[in-house]
Amino acid sequence: MKKKNPILRIALTHLFSKKRQTVVAMLGVTFGIAIFIFQGGLMTGFQKTFIDQTVNTTANIRIYNEPKKERPFLITEVYASGEWLVVRNQKPREELPGIKNASAIVAELEKNPEITGVSPFLSSQVIFKLGLAEVSGRVSGVDIERENLIFDVEENMVEGSISKLATMNNGIILGDGLAELLGAKMNDNILLISPMGVSVEVKVAGINHSGLTEVDKQRAYLSIRNTQKLLLADGSYITDINLKLKDFNKAEILARELEKKFGYRCLDWKEANVNVFGIFKIQNLITYLIIISILVVSGFGIFNILMMIIYEKLPDIAILKAVGYKDRDIMKIFLTESLIIGFTGGIFGLVLGFLLQQIIGNIEMDIKGFVSMKYLQFNNSPIFFVSAFIFGLVATALAGYFPARKASRVDAIDIIRAK
Amino acid sequence: MSREIIIRTQNLGKIFRDPVEFHALKKINLEIYRGEFSAITGASGSGKSTLLYVLSTLDTDYTGKLFFEEEDLSQKSKNGLAELRNQKIGFVFQFHYLLHDFTVIENVMLPGLKLGLLSESQLRKKALEKLEILGLPDQAEKKAGKLSGGQQQRVAIARAMINDPVIIFGDEPTGNLDSVNTKNVFDVFKSLKEQFNQTILVVTHDQEFAGKTDRIIKLHDGEVVKD
Repeated sequence: MKKKNPILRIALTHLFSKKRQTVVAMLGVTFGIAIFIFQGGLMTGFQKTFIDQTVNTTANIRIYNEPKKERPFLITEVYASGEWLVVRNQKPREELPGIKNASAIVAELEKNPEITGVSPFLSSQVIFKLGLAEVSGRVSGVDIERENLIFDVEENMVEGSISKLATMNNGIILGDGLAELLGAKMNDNILLISPMGVSVEVKVAGINHSGLTEVDKQRAYLSIRNTQKLLLADGSYITDINLKLKDFNKAEILARELEKKFGYRCLDWKEANVNVFGIFKIQNLITYLIIISILVVSGFGIFNILMMIIYEKLPDIAILKAVGYKDRDIMKIFLTESLIIGFTGGIFGLVLGFLLQQIIGNIEMDIKGFVSMKYLQFNNSPIFFVSAFIFGLVATALAGYFPARKASRVDAIDIIRAK
Repeated sequence: MSREIIIRTQNLGKIFRDPVEFHALKKINLEIYRGEFSAITGASGSGKSTLLYVLSTLDTDYTGKLFFEEEDLSQKSKNGLAELRNQKIGFVFQFHYLLHDFTVIENVMLPGLKLGLLSESQLRKKALEKLEILGLPDQAEKKAGKLSGGQQQRVAIARAMINDPVIIFGDEPTGNLDSVNTKNVFDVFKSLKEQFNQTILVVTHDQEFAGKTDRIIKLHDGEVVKD
């Protein structure tokens, strides 16, 4: 201890005179921060993984024709005055909910510099049939090259390739979950039956793994033409247009613009996953409540030890004041003590939290739930660690502030007179 | 020869309001001169310690006026008073008030570290000199709590001297010491006065101790009855 600063020296001497309590208080901070890093890291890491996978599998913006719930009948529109108009059991016209003049819209969208990928598609419920297995799911009729620009389909191929789908005239790419349910392998012939009663035989050209379990269990890619056949639709029939943006954070704004321009519903990715983000919010709230309560507990540990030191060292405080130490010097002494505890405990907490992340993150889990991942994904960005550390320091500074203020307000005379 | 006034009071009074209103000091007019070794005496409850706390700026809740080297202290802030004590006032209390977790020399250096005029090594040298004056150079690196009562009181005096104060205040400095150590402390004060012209003001109920000083200020019921 060769420091010139008497305040730091006094603070250190106080802490060394109460080694055990100091260590306990430090451990409180250590665990607080370690749990911050572990729990918070797990939560944000998971959410980031989910968002990444979601962004990769949901279009940044999806344009489609939302069927209106109430469609006025033609007759009521023509006879708007509406008196004495009784036509019972009217039946709406059967129509396909497509996007009209889709190719013109696609051409228009491709000119927009914010948009890097445009993929028109149509989808339909189908029943997949292979031998005895019958599974219901969806087919997406896509131009696979365009689709690849948006969703990195090629990168997620487990078997086969997208070029095969593009060149075969009756190819299909199955989600890996779906293939498993059907027991389908490459080059198997699968029968698709549409709600229109049309059946088409296709050949497995590839198996794909997007990472989102629900999607992989249900979805298959088909060519646009074959899907139109399933729906008995003409060659210009398209139900959706998927878009990829340069910056997916701008999706919300752009979606509103496009909605105005084309008159079709434009769903951005956040909106499409709104229920998931709601869950995230609650998850985060719970996590941070846990972390805060742990830090509050460690704060009490610091508060406790400081109060103990202060009561024991009242004569020291009195004499320091008598020989010219100011109130704020006394305050600094005890704040320094709490910050030393917070800083040291915090450093150990960072190390412990990092080790926990490394150890748990290297255990193979093979989780198949909401998203499928092999290992737990932690948020280990430096900013996250720094914020955990700062959070810990702020908590300890707060815990130290009140005892320190109390010490600084001690009246030297009261103590000297009391003896 | 006109003597330099260190402390001057004008109608200095002190009222305790709790539990009942009580005039501890009444209209005290005093002058303390440079180089004076004086004692304030009186029965317990006469207000002598109260007077010392007010004169030494620790107690700021008084009426009347207090001048330190002709500067009106009622104008000074709390921090200003702390600085004044640090630079110009030394304290010796009945219960030494050493910081027991620190070594003797660190205790002596504490006010000097706060003042911050000297480097650590210069300050250490100066602290050793002061300890030598008090006959304790060999105890410098011991923990303060390990010393005997008489030794601790001499360390406290060394601490009071470290910043070369204008005045040293003693609050019953021998109240807790046996006769040998009492004589020791008196001799130290006396030689400080004689060698360094140090101004010293001591509160004591020890008549023998008081009798050997230059000047006795006797208090009774908050008033100076003999000077």
